[in-house]
Amino acid sequence: MFKNYFKIAWRNIWRHRGFSFLNISGLAIGMTAGFLVLLYVNFELSYDEMHEKGDRIYRVVADIDTPSEKIEANMAAWPVGPNLQREFPEIIAATRVLTAELPVQRGSLKFVEPLAVAVDSTFFEIFDFQLLEGDKDEVLTNPNSLVLSETTAKKYFGEEDPMGKTLKIQDQGIAAKVTGIMKDIPENSHIQADLLISMITITQPPNDYDVQWGNYGPSIYILTSKGTSAESLQSKFPAFLEEKTGDGMREDKMFVSLFLEPLNEVYLHSTRGGAITGSMSNVYIFSIIGLFILLIAAINFINLTTARSVERAKEVGIRKVVGAEKNQLVLQFMGESIIICLIAFVLTVGLTTLSLPYFNTLAGKTVSSGIFSNPENIAYLLLLALGIGLVAGIYPAIVLSSFRPLRVLKGQFASGNKGILLRKGLVITQFTISIALIIGTIVIYNQMQFMRNQELGFDKSQTIILDTDSSLILEPLKNEISLLRGVISTSFGSSVPGAGNNAAYSEIENINGDMQVANLDLYFVDDAYIPQFNFKVVAGRAFSKDFASDSTQAMIINEKAVQLLGYNNPEGAIGAKYDQWGSKGQIIGVVQDFHFRSLQEEIKPLTMRMDRNATNLLVIKAHPQNLKQTLASIENTWNTIVPGEPFNYYFMDEFFDRQYRTEERFGNLFLNFALLAIFISCLGLLGLTAYSTIQRKREIGIRKVIGASVSSIVNLLSKEFIKLVAIAFLIATPIAWYAMHNWLEDFAYRIEINWFVFVLAGLMAILIAIVTVSFQAIKAAIANPVKSLRTE
Amino acid sequence: MIKITNLEKYYKTEEVQTIALNKLSFEVKEGEFAAIMGPSGCGKSTLLNILGLLDDPDGGSYLFNGIEVAGYNERKRAQLRKHNIGFVFQSFNLIDELSVFENVELPLIYTGVKPAERKERVHAVLEKMQIMHRRKHFPQQLSGGQQQRVAVARAVVNNPKLILADEPTGNLDSSNGNEVMDLLTELNEAGTTIIMVTHSEHDAKFSHRIIRMLDGQKVTENVLV
Repeated sequence: MFKNYFKIAWRNIWRHRGFSFLNISGLAIGMTAGFLVLLYVNFELSYDEMHEKGDRIYRVVADIDTPSEKIEANMAAWPVGPNLQREFPEIIAATRVLTAELPVQRGSLKFVEPLAVAVDSTFFEIFDFQLLEGDKDEVLTNPNSLVLSETTAKKYFGEEDPMGKTLKIQDQGIAAKVTGIMKDIPENSHIQADLLISMITITQPPNDYDVQWGNYGPSIYILTSKGTSAESLQSKFPAFLEEKTGDGMREDKMFVSLFLEPLNEVYLHSTRGGAITGSMSNVYIFSIIGLFILLIAAINFINLTTARSVERAKEVGIRKVVGAEKNQLVLQFMGESIIICLIAFVLTVGLTTLSLPYFNTLAGKTVSSGIFSNPENIAYLLLLALGIGLVAGIYPAIVLSSFRPLRVLKGQFASGNKGILLRKGLVITQFTISIALIIGTIVIYNQMQFMRNQELGFDKSQTIILDTDSSLILEPLKNEISLLRGVISTSFGSSVPGAGNNAAYSEIENINGDMQVANLDLYFVDDAYIPQFNFKVVAGRAFSKDFASDSTQAMIINEKAVQLLGYNNPEGAIGAKYDQWGSKGQIIGVVQDFHFRSLQEEIKPLTMRMDRNATNLLVIKAHPQNLKQTLASIENTWNTIVPGEPFNYYFMDEFFDRQYRTEERFGNLFLNFALLAIFISCLGLLGLTAYSTIQRKREIGIRKVIGASVSSIVNLLSKEFIKLVAIAFLIATPIAWYAMHNWLEDFAYRIEINWFVFVLAGLMAILIAIVTVSFQAIKAAIANPVKSLRTE
Repeated sequence: MIKITNLEKYYKTEEVQTIALNKLSFEVKEGEFAAIMGPSGCGKSTLLNILGLLDDPDGGSYLFNGIEVAGYNERKRAQLRKHNIGFVFQSFNLIDELSVFENVELPLIYTGVKPAERKERVHAVLEKMQIMHRRKHFPQQLSGGQQQRVAVARAVVNNPKLILADEPTGNLDSSNGNEVMDLLTELNEAGTTIIMVTHSEHDAKFSHRIIRMLDGQKVTENVLV
């Protein structure tokens, strides 16, 4: 019996190749999209899952209350880690993790390692990153010890055995010994490192980080003993802090509270930021989109299959007459839908394999290196296919098997109103989802455009940044580069907009004459920096060579800082005293607020000071003409002054826009899914129009015989579907508005959602629907009416 | 074999109720060949559907082999139908996607006959209908007469006690039509009960008895043999 089902299923698929193609490809595309989303979501959820003791690992984070603000840091002070481990028996181990960019050298090989990470000796006790060589209890015990990732080891040592050999860490002026090799850290870890250096290298005397309770830098992780409750441990922290640094906190007016974040929540749930963070809301958004696309594909399948039921009706009638029972027919049609889904499954495997590299690029990470790399994936996909086959097959199966045999054999086929209503409902659902996705895409695109084109308050054009890692070579480099043709100006800075910057414990005289304590963002610059970026000075003056005291006793702040200090206008702040990181002096100027972070964040209070020793970036403003040549001569100069050093540069505008990469990826993914959704929906609409025209063949014939024109018939057939799309538009609009309104909330600077967005999305959807529907409608309208009447 | 008493069937459209069968009663004995005649709309086809257990009467009694089947649900009707009744239609009603062999095999599949036996029985009946050489062809490749012979083969392959024929020669020319009538007569002579609805006086003469209907009621009954 199954052989018979299979045979007839296959022959049906083959005989109606075009139709089967619509059906199967719609399903396969939907399943591919759904599957890619599944891979993505799985990957995001898999972060930091590789640690066996993961449920007992916590990140220690601090809230810092100052009179000016509350800072929610993703780190804690340097001494917190070692002291926690000493004071609390339930803490088995603690490690600090400090990521730095280190210039590393072996012979003539020199690289800047952006993922050089200093960690305590307990690192491998807490985390299960795999050590290939070296003993996990010893590799990082001594100063100047290095653990390299496999890839990094190959980079410096090739096929040689790196164990026991040394690498030079340039700016520290030390030679460090390779004591271990670890497997490359998988991408789904929020802690990333290519090179680990023992923490003691940094903290050993004469450095005194281990007692600097007000100094923040490393992230801190602890491993607790089994059965330890995080809450009860956390409740002991205030007393611990009081004992260790109570007086210091009162003196500095910075009050710290410590919290524990479970390791598996750091990546997706923590709101405290970090170098590598995910977003649970993105996971939700994509899960929903994935489900929606699967839903659209399944709806398609249902619609197309029931649409074909007119043609299958006769077969059902015959089968019933020769003895088929209803459940046997249900089984047959379910089987057919499963066969179709299995074909779609094979196609999906192929499509996924083809699209995975593209998807990885879109997602910006290797979500999966290939679906065959994990057999579980295939099993999931197969289940998905079977699931869709069952769920989407059941309705058509029941409809088909319920036909009254004699009626269909006599050609009196007419489906009930209920079925039509359901199909209409399904089409509305499809288009609601599609239109909502189109609206979302337009809003995201508009917001991206807005962020790119927003007035940032400074000039980022034709600006090249050279990262020198050291302030020592800056002066000669600057002198030489200033002379190059094509270079307009040069300046020094510790940071540029869009890059991270220092935050300093500061005391500044406020409007009441008190020294107000605040943790303020800090740029070290030179006198050329402000004019070069074209920051607008709104009160006082910029730094100047003409005032010798500027280099040691002068500060410039932005308008936000003026507000923080309570002054009514920028002029009021001029002359206010400050005390910051050991430097005392007066505020000499106020610059207009500029966006030194992405537009997702509010502009914060900023301080600027001159300090040649703290700057390591050379900012070069170049002529727009011959930029390539100018860059080449800059590189030449670099190579003459610091031969062998890697030449690291970036363009300011690209660098700043890089902050929006996540949003850009999000937007691109969204766009792709929206296109898929609308495409699959149109396949469905195409099938449904075909169905409807078959149903109304006789009516069309009669209308034509009594004189209806082709256009009036096209109109007749299209109207009904356009109405559905219009209803879908009405449903989609508020939903999309609400969702996108929420999405925009994450941006401190954002667009207003314009009514035009909805009109545009609605018009697009209706236009696409008209094109799809007319295709069938015209075909039906120009058919010879005599033919359709005769068949009745 | 078949005994109906006061059989009633109504069709309701939105506002109008039409009486298709109006307290119809008659009996057909085992081995009989009965023809039912009457103008269009007199209820012939409705009657045939009820007799064939494809439809349910709204009133009256229907005894099939002495068992009351008037109240049977669809499942029970299907069970009884597939073992006892074969159908032959005016428009042949073969499944286009299945070959001749597969079409004839279908009833055996639904009655759970094993594959080997199925093959044997299908071959036997195809031989008898003289279309063995066409067994691998699809319906569209056959003439009308051949298609109807396949349909008859399918109707008898399960050795039903009753064959219901709905204008079996309606779509055939006279020579093909006569062949089909001969086939039915042969089957009847071999013991199968046949009830045939027809417009053709010619065809009706092959039967033993003609029941004439009008407006859902029996008007006359002529015994021919």
